[in-house]
Amino acid sequence: MMEQKMGLEIHCQVTGTKSKLFCKCRCDYRGKAPNANTCPTCLGLPGTLPLLNQKAVEFAGMTSIALGCKVPDEIAFYRKNYFYPDLPKNFQLTQYNAYDITSIGVEGGLEYGDGKSVRIRRVQLEEDPGRLVYDGGNMETSVYALIDYNRAGVPLVEIVTEPDFVDPKEIRLFLDKITSIVEHLGLCGTKLEGSVRCDANVSVGGGKRVEIKNVGSFADVEKAVRYEITRQKTMTSRDLEVRSETRHWDDARKVTKESRTKEEEQDYRYFPEPDIPTVVLGSEFVSSAQRSMPELPDARKVRFVKHGLSAHVAQVLINNKELADFFESAIKFYSSPKEIANWIVTDLMSFVDERQKEQERSMFAGLKVGPEHIADLAKLVDQDTINRATAKQILGLIVRPGEMPSQVAHKTHAGKIDDVSELAQTIDSVFETEHAAVQDATLNPNAINFLLGKVMQATKGRADPKAALEMIQKKLKEV
Amino acid sequence: MPLYTLGAGQVAAGVKSREFSAEEYIQQLLERIEKVEPKVNAFVTINKGAIEHARTIDKKIRDGEQAGPLAGVAVSIKDNICTKGIRTTCASRMLESFVPPYDATVVTRLQDAGAIVIGKANLDEFAMGSTTEFSRYGTTRNPWDISRVPGGSSGGSAASVAAQECAASLGSDAGGSVRCPASFCSVVGMKPTYGLISRYGLVSYANSLEQVGPIGRTVSDVVSVLNAIAGADENDHTTVGGKPVYTLQERKGLRVGLVREFIEDTDPAVAKMILRAMDTLEGQGCKCKETSLESVAYALASYYTIATAEASSNLARYDNVRYGFDMSPEGYEWNSYFAKARSSFGEEAKRRIITGSYVLSSGYYGKYYLKAQQARSLLKDELKALFKSCDVLIGPTMPILPFKIGEKIDDPLKMYLVDIDTVIANLAGMPAISVPAGFVDGLPVGLQLMADEFQEQTILDAAYLFEQAANVRGSPEL
Amino acid sequence: MMVTKEQVKHLGWLARIELSDAELERYTEQIEGIVKYLDKLDAMPLQQVKPIATRKKFADLRPDEPAEFEGDALGTKYRKDGFVKGPRMA
Ligand SMILES: [Mg+2]
Ligand SMILES: [Zn+2]
Repeated sequence: MMEQKMGLEIHCQVTGTKSKLFCKCRCDYRGKAPNANTCPTCLGLPGTLPLLNQKAVEFAGMTSIALGCKVPDEIAFYRKNYFYPDLPKNFQLTQYNAYDITSIGVEGGLEYGDGKSVRIRRVQLEEDPGRLVYDGGNMETSVYALIDYNRAGVPLVEIVTEPDFVDPKEIRLFLDKITSIVEHLGLCGTKLEGSVRCDANVSVGGGKRVEIKNVGSFADVEKAVRYEITRQKTMTSRDLEVRSETRHWDDARKVTKESRTKEEEQDYRYFPEPDIPTVVLGSEFVSSAQRSMPELPDARKVRFVKHGLSAHVAQVLINNKELADFFESAIKFYSSPKEIANWIVTDLMSFVDERQKEQERSMFAGLKVGPEHIADLAKLVDQDTINRATAKQILGLIVRPGEMPSQVAHKTHAGKIDDVSELAQTIDSVFETEHAAVQDATLNPNAINFLLGKVMQATKGRADPKAALEMIQKKLKEV
Repeated sequence: MPLYTLGAGQVAAGVKSREFSAEEYIQQLLERIEKVEPKVNAFVTINKGAIEHARTIDKKIRDGEQAGPLAGVAVSIKDNICTKGIRTTCASRMLESFVPPYDATVVTRLQDAGAIVIGKANLDEFAMGSTTEFSRYGTTRNPWDISRVPGGSSGGSAASVAAQECAASLGSDAGGSVRCPASFCSVVGMKPTYGLISRYGLVSYANSLEQVGPIGRTVSDVVSVLNAIAGADENDHTTVGGKPVYTLQERKGLRVGLVREFIEDTDPAVAKMILRAMDTLEGQGCKCKETSLESVAYALASYYTIATAEASSNLARYDNVRYGFDMSPEGYEWNSYFAKARSSFGEEAKRRIITGSYVLSSGYYGKYYLKAQQARSLLKDELKALFKSCDVLIGPTMPILPFKIGEKIDDPLKMYLVDIDTVIANLAGMPAISVPAGFVDGLPVGLQLMADEFQEQTILDAAYLFEQAANVRGSPEL
Repeated sequence: MMVTKEQVKHLGWLARIELSDAELERYTEQIEGIVKYLDKLDAMPLQQVKPIATRKKFADLRPDEPAEFEGDALGTKYRKDGFVKGPRMA
C-alpha cells in the first residue's frame, strides 16, 4: 500500500511585539517606505550586536506551552550560515537542538480535529530576512533585484511537527487550530499579508522525503501536499525514482516545481551565537508564562459549552478567533448565547463570500454586520417581536448595509401585528371572501386551519398565529 | 618640551589649567604626524575634525564648563572600531568607503570624557594577524626599527602611541592583538576581562574572545583611558557588572607566579629579560615563584579553531550590497556577484574564512569547535586553581623579538605560533597587560601580567610597581 | 587530516569567495598544515567537560520598547525608490 506521511514547518511572524527580535525597529513594517524601518543592527552593519527582545522570548515560550512542549531551563541561539541577498548578515539567527542546548520548546503534541493528534518536534525563535522585489515584477528579465530590509529581524516562531499526517485534510484542520492558538496568544495576526508561511514535507510509501517550500498561505498547503502526493505516486507507479529534494510551490500554477538552487550543496555550519549569552529562563519562566497566558481555544470551547452551546457550535466558533470574539461581544449586547451562536454559525456564515474572505483574510470581509446587529436580531426573535422566518429575511437585508434589525423591522412593518383591530379587520375580510370555508368550519373544527392559513397569507406572516386562531374561533361562534 | 610628548594626565591638566590650549596641542600633534607618518604609517585616516573638536573643548573650559578627565587628550582609534562620520575600513578593501552612521560605545565614552579622536589606526585586515602586514593600506613599521614589524593586529595603535603621534589609543585584542604590538613597540597595552568593555561598534572578528583594550606610554595613561571606557553597556548583552573605577596605587606583597611553559620555547634573550623582571618584582616586595600551566599545550589549537570559525561567519556579511566598495550589482547573478566582490578580501582573511568554514562544516563541529570550547573550560579551571596561590601570573608577552617585515608572512602556521602566550587570557576571558620590560639589542621586550577575572586593579598594581622600578627607557628617535 | 583541493574549492563556494588556481593550490597546502595543528585537540581528555558559555537572566533581556534610528544606515549608492539594488536572482 502506498501510504503517505507528511510533516509541517510553520513560520508565524510575531506581530504581537512592538520591536524586532534584536533591535528597536518596529515589527509593524507593513505599508512603510522601503528601508525606512531599519537601523544599523537589522541591516547587519559592522560592529552591531543583537539585543534579544524579552517579549519575543515570552511569546515563543507561551507557544511552546500551548503546544505541550517541554521548555528547558536555558536556551541559546545559533547561527545558520548561508548566503542570500535578502539576509543582511548572511546568516540567520535561529535555534537548534545540539549539545545539551535545545530550542525553546521540544517534544510536544497537539490534539486537533476529532481526536487526532500530532507530535510537535520543536518550537524555535528566529529572525525573518528582508524582502526581494523585482523591478517591473519580473524575475527573468530584471538585471537587478530590489531589496527592502524593513522586514529583516522581525521575530518568527517556527513550529516543526513530526511527519504524523497521513491525510491532506488533516493538515487543514491542524493549521486551523494552530491559527486559532497563535491568534488567541496574541502572537501573530494571521490575517496580515505574509505573516504565516508553511513548508511541508511529503513521503509516499516509505520513500524519499520531499520538501515543499514557499507556500505563502495556509489555504494552499493542502493543495500543495495533494499535488505532491499525486506526483510521487505517479512516479512510483511508473517505476521512476522519487528523489530527496526541495521543491517550490508555484502559487500561480498551483504545482510544485523543481528548485533552482542546489540545496544539497548547502551546509549551514551551525554554531552558537557568541553575542547572545545563554539565556537562563529559570523555573519561574514557565509558571509565570502560564499565569499571564490568555485563554486558549480549548478552554474557551469548554466555557462556551457551559453557556449552553453544543460542542459542535462551540468548536466552529473557537476555530476562528474572529468568530469567537464576535460571539463574545454579541452576548454582551444581549445575553442569549445559544440563540446568538446559532445565528452566527448557521445563518451569518452563509453570507460569507469565500473569495473575499481569502483576499481580505477576514471572515467578515464585505459584511457590515457587527455583534450588535446579531444581538439585536436575536432579541427580536426571543421577545416574539418577529418570527424566525422574518428574522432570516431581515438578516439578508442588513448584512451589507449594516442597518439595525429592529429599525428594519419597524420600517418595513415586519413586526407581528399586535394591533387587535388590524387583525380583526383582516379576519373580517377573510370571512367575507371565504364564505364556504367559514360554513365548513362551523361544522368541522379541523377546517379552521384553512382560515388561519388565509389570515397568515393576508398578513404576510406577520400575524401572531395564536392570537389569530383565538379570534377566528371566537368569530365562528358568532356566525 | 614639545606638547606631543605629554601623557594623557599631563595633557588634560595642561588644557584645563589653560597652560596651553587643546587646539595648540592638536596642532602640534598633526605636525608631528605629518613628520613621522612617512616612516611609521600608523594611520589609515586622520580625523579632519580634530582641530574643530579641540576648539569646542577650549571653549568649554573658557566658559567654565566640565571638560572631562581626558580633556583635549588625543587618542587614535583602531580602524575596526566604528566612528560616526569617519570611515572605518578594517584595513580592508571590503570596507574601503564604509562610513559608520553611529559611534562605538567606547568612542562615545572617550569623547564624553573629553578625548579627541585624532585618527584611525592601521591594523591587520579585520584584526587578523600579528604584524600589521596584512593591511590594504600598507604595513605599519616599528618606530624603534622601521625595518621591523610593530606587532599586530593593533600595530597602528601601538606604533602611533610609541611614535608620539597621540597620547593613547584603543586597540582590540582577540588573541593578543593589543599586547603583542604593545610589547613590540615598548608601550603599555591591556586586554581587559571579557565583558568589562562594550564591543558595540567594534567590528567583530572573534566575538567570544575579543575585547577593546587601551594602549598608552605609561600605566597611568592606560588607567585613565580604562576608567573612561569600562563598564556595562545596554548595547552589548555580553557586558557585565557596573562601572568600575581604577586607581594607581602602591601595593606590596603581591604573590607572583612565573609560568614555566611561557619561558620554555622562548628566545633565550627574551627569557633572560623576563627572569630579570621577576627579580625586579621580588625587589619590590613581591613573593615570586615558578609555576606551571599545562593547558598551554592546547591553547593555540583551541584559539585558532574558535577564531577562524567565528571569523568565517562574521565576515559573511561583507557581500558589498548594503555598504562596501564601489561595484555595481547590475547584471550580475547573485552568487557570482558575491563571489567576485568577496574575492577582494586579503590573503590572510581569505585563509581564515576558509579554515573557519572547514572547522564548522558538516560533521566537524564536534571535532573542532565544540572541543575548542571545552578546552577553554579546562584552561580556565586550571588558571582559577593557580589564582588561589598567585595574584598575578607573569611571562613574556611575545616569545620572540620584533622581526623583520616580510620574514614570516609566507608561513601562516609559523606566524600563528607567536601568539602562544597571549591567547591564554582571551580563551579564559581574563585580564592581561603588557608593560615594557627592557631592550635586547635595541629591540623591545614586553612583560605580560595576567590576573583572575575582573582583577584589573591587581594587574594594574603589579604593572605600576614594575614600571616604577624597571624605569625602561622612553620614546624612539624618529 | 588530509585536506583536498576539492574540499577547499567547496569551502570557497560555501564562503562565496572566488579562488584562482594558484590560490587553491596554496590554500590547500596551508590549510592542511593548519588543520593538522588543530588536530592537537584530539589528544585532550574532554569527554566530561562542559563548553564555556556566558549567561544572562531572562529578566535582564531587552524590554520590548521600539525606537526609530535617526539617519540613513545604508551606505550604498545603488538604490532605487528607497530600495537597495542587489544582484539578480536567476
Ligand atoms: Mg526557520
Ligand atoms: Zn533595526
